[in-house]
Order: sequence, then structure tokens, then C-alpha cells
Amino acid sequence: MNFEQFQNQSRLYVIGALEPEELDEFEEARKKFGKKADDFISKCYALHEAFALSLRPAKSSDAIKERLMAMVKAKKQS
Amino acid sequence: MAQSRVGPRTIAPPIEPGAPSDFELMKGIQAGDADALSQLYDRYNGILKALILRVIHNEAEADDLLQEIFMEIWNQAKNFSEEKGKPLGWMVTLARRRAIDGLRKKQAYARAEERLQNETEQQPDAWVHNATEEEIVLSDTRVLIRKVISSLPLAQQQAIDLAFFRGMSQREIAAKTNTPLGTVKTRLELGLKKIYDGLKDLKDEL
Repeated sequence: MNFEQFQNQSRLYVIGALEPEELDEFEEARKKFGKKADDFISKCYALHEAFALSLRPAKSSDAIKERLMAMVKAKKQS
Repeated sequence: MAQSRVGPRTIAPPIEPGAPSDFELMKGIQAGDADALSQLYDRYNGILKALILRVIHNEAEADDLLQEIFMEIWNQAKNFSEEKGKPLGWMVTLARRRAIDGLRKKQAYARAEERLQNETEQQPDAWVHNATEEEIVLSDTRVLIRKVISSLPLAQQQAIDLAFFRGMSQREIAAKTNTPLGTVKTRLELGLKKIYDGLKDLKDEL
């Protein structure tokens, strides 16, 4: 696998779309390319942010935050 | 630090001047500051809720899951490392995983599938199709990201949508769309590359 192919596979990897039989070869290539590979994979996680930010924000119930903060407070006190 | 030179890109929306950065809020949460979690919630609950809703298509379940995810952010904050990426990316990854797990665990998959099927038949490009009316009130970041995504052929958008928001494997996408496996792989590779490359331009514009 050359680095361009590794880049294509990395983008599939970060969204969990590599098939099981592709993972071994991907991990081998990751070792072969070393830090350059890990740096590229890190950059690919920007895709996660982009997909989330592509959506119109949804309003959540005010009660959710109240319950959350009550749970946090209870956990801190325990 | 090497990571700061090569670290992940971020396309997160801008933060108001004077407000703590996401990293500062994460440090606060790691130190047990509940107010930091409150601020992070205010900043990102809408984005994470939208992501969850996109996966499970159920308002009440999405609210419950949102609460669980922020509780997990509180509990797992110690595992967050600046060197591994940005807080928003970490939260989105966590939320997506929990949403997809939740979808499967609650065995709502079949019901959601049916709803998705109906959506797909009625508006196959629903991911970004309704952008036009909303664009005037959307942030610049969102408009630009949607512009990048909507520039893809619909088949590529659909393949990425099913993989990212539904957690489907290439084989599952191939079966669902009655498309050869190799074609699905090509659609995903080409689509993701175009979006990735588009983000470079986006970062330059922001």
C-alpha cells in the first residue's frame, strides 16, 4: 500500500467504515509509515467535526441540563 | 510541542471574545469544575443533539442520550488529552459511538431503518437538501461545510451518510443500496477525499 492508498483507507478508518479484512493491512501500513501515518489519521478526525457541524443544531429540553447538573452535583458529593 | 504543528485541523465555530476556550473548559472539567461542564453544555448541546437525532431519529431518546453523553464527558474527561485532538472532535466521536451503540442496544434499528428508508425515498439528499431556507440563519461554518457536502454526487453523500450516521459497514451499505461492494468503497473514498480537501479550503476561509 502506498501513502495515497493509506490516506484513502485512513478516511474510511476514522468513520469506522473499513471492513475487518482491510484492518490488518491498514495496521501494517500504519506501522510502515509511522508518525506520518498517525499524524494523518489525527487530521482525518476533522471529518467528525465537519459532519456534526453540517447539521442544524437541535434544541434540547431545559430539563436535560438541570438533570445533568444535579447528577454532577450528586456525584461530586458522593 | 510537535502536536501543535501537525495537530488535527479544527473547523469548530468561533468562540466569543473573552470566553474560555474549549481546552480551558476541558481542563476545568478535569479539575472537577461543574461550571465548566455547564458552559461546554451550553456551547455544544445543540450540535451533539443534532448528531444524536440524525442517528436515532427519536426526540425523547436523543434527549436521554444527550444527558448520558455529557455525564460521560464529565466522567471520562481525565482520558481526554490535548495531544490526541480537539475537545469538539473528542465529544463528537464519543457521541456518535454512543448514539450508534444506543441505536443497536435498544433494538430500535429496525424502526429507525424504516423511518430512514421513508426519508431516503422521499428526499434522498436530506442530509443537506433543506439548506437553502435555513442558510440565512446558519453560521458561516455550517453553510460552508454544507456547501462542500452538497457538491458531492448524491450517491456519495448517501454512502457517507449511511457509514457515518448509521454506522453501517461497506457490505451493509452495498446490501441496503443494492450496489456492488467495490462501488460503495469507491463512493466512500472519493466522497471523503473531496470533503477532506474541501475542509482545507474552509479552514483558509474562516
